[in-house]
Amino acid sequence: MIDEDELSAAIHGAADEFEISIDAKNRILNEARQDEPDQRRNVIPDHFRHQSRGRQFLSVAAVFIVLAAISIPLFRGEIAPSRNKVAVSGTGFLPVTLNSTGLAVKSLSPAPAKTATGEVGTTVTSTSASPRSAATLSPKIESTGSVGLTVKKGQVNSSLTKLGALAVNDGGFVLSTQANARTRGTGSFSSGTIVLEVPQHVFSKFVAQVQGVGHATSILTSSSDVTSQYVNLQARISALNASRQQYLAILARATSISGILAVQNQLDAIQSQIEQYQGQLNVLNHATTFGTLTVALSQSGAPAHVTHHRSGLSKAWHDGVGGFVAGFEWLIRLAGPVLFAALFLGFLLVAGRWTRRAVRRRRI
Amino acid sequence: MQSSLGLDDLELWLEEGYPQSVRTAYLILGNRLDAEDAVQEAFLRAWKFRHSLSKESSFKPWLYRVVVNTCNSKLRKEIPLRERRSNEEELENIEVRDNVPERIAVAHDVLSALKDLPAHLRVVVVLRYYADLSEREIAIAIDRKQGTVKSRLNEARRRLALHPALRSEVSGVSNSDEEITG
Repeated sequence: MIDEDELSAAIHGAADEFEISIDAKNRILNEARQDEPDQRRNVIPDHFRHQSRGRQFLSVAAVFIVLAAISIPLFRGEIAPSRNKVAVSGTGFLPVTLNSTGLAVKSLSPAPAKTATGEVGTTVTSTSASPRSAATLSPKIESTGSVGLTVKKGQVNSSLTKLGALAVNDGGFVLSTQANARTRGTGSFSSGTIVLEVPQHVFSKFVAQVQGVGHATSILTSSSDVTSQYVNLQARISALNASRQQYLAILARATSISGILAVQNQLDAIQSQIEQYQGQLNVLNHATTFGTLTVALSQSGAPAHVTHHRSGLSKAWHDGVGGFVAGFEWLIRLAGPVLFAALFLGFLLVAGRWTRRAVRRRRI
Repeated sequence: MQSSLGLDDLELWLEEGYPQSVRTAYLILGNRLDAEDAVQEAFLRAWKFRHSLSKESSFKPWLYRVVVNTCNSKLRKEIPLRERRSNEEELENIEVRDNVPERIAVAHDVLSALKDLPAHLRVVVVLRYYADLSEREIAIAIDRKQGTVKSRLNEARRRLALHPALRSEVSGVSNSDEEITG
């Protein structure tokens, strides 16, 4: 091994041969001076510039998260910006005050129908504040459901009839019925399906009544609030009607044939759109007036469950094996997340260490 | 943080640290122009990032860390892309003083031995035996553990001891190596 003092002396000797340039320091100072004013002009605030990179990253990430938190609901329409607020709040269960007529008379000019409908959102709010034309709109709820029933053998037919009668009693009607026979010509049905429409306000009660007809094997009901769609369609129709009135006024004043034809074309397009929207509104109206329930009937008669009577020792053995298998399954189930967590933590550790080292190196 | 430092402080840094820094870079890189470039860049970077120097930390290892990083960067990126300026060329530029031939020969041998060391070993040798940094300070400067520094120093000294150029210059080459090998 080489002697440290002599090595040091030799290296010092070699280094001393290097003559220091007098200009070098001045060059560095001049460069630094030139950079100084640029730093002052920097628009980044001083406190931010002097933060560590980690803090800068956190600050940027925080700003990004806040912006995302604000903008994502906006894009989804969860937080309605200003005017749409009225329409959106209507999706709740409280009654909403809205103008249902003459929504766009002031703001709509005889423009193409597409533009006219685009203005609807604006005019809904601006006119909804008017107490003169305000109308109360209750929430529009659409309900659907399905029930699976098992009835006694040979009672599918009578149960279908009974269900239809129940619907009629509650003010509803039978939309469709389907019955399936296991063998032809027997006259009895082994299963059937009936689709019933009942008024919205008795829907829940009706579902309970249906369960009394047989043994319920499955029940599924769902409701959705379509108030906003309803309001939207109404507003579009109103706006188009207003636009139509404007075109009619223009048509009355038109003198040339080409002018009349042009206005007529526009009127036809608007009329077509009005009818389209009206059709959608009618469908929605029906869907919110009546709830739809599909009942699937089947007759009981499935083979009975055979129980095997085991001796005490056999039962204990089976229980033991079952317990062992269950324990093993539990271990395997547990191992998955634990392994994943360990791998993830390991990855984080390595990545963190590597990043910290890289950042520390780059910092200077 | 040292954000309130002014250009006077930079001047002070240069007065105190430039000669030793540039010679350190010279020993690591092996030629004058690269060394001057590297140290100029290092001082400007250190000045730019002066806020990263906390009041508690020592200035010397921090500055050497910047210098070493700049030298490493040159060794990795710039120097391999072009032909290295030869040490011979450098040595020709050394001013004529007394006992010139002998000193030139010694300097040449030392530089030649250092050049033959891998960069990571060369850096620790220069920081230890020229810049007089402690092992702890070298660990800070190269961002490695103290144990790593220790082992690198040992490895470097072992290799230097075996280098033919240094055998003739440094009489302290351990006899044990020779005894073992010979």
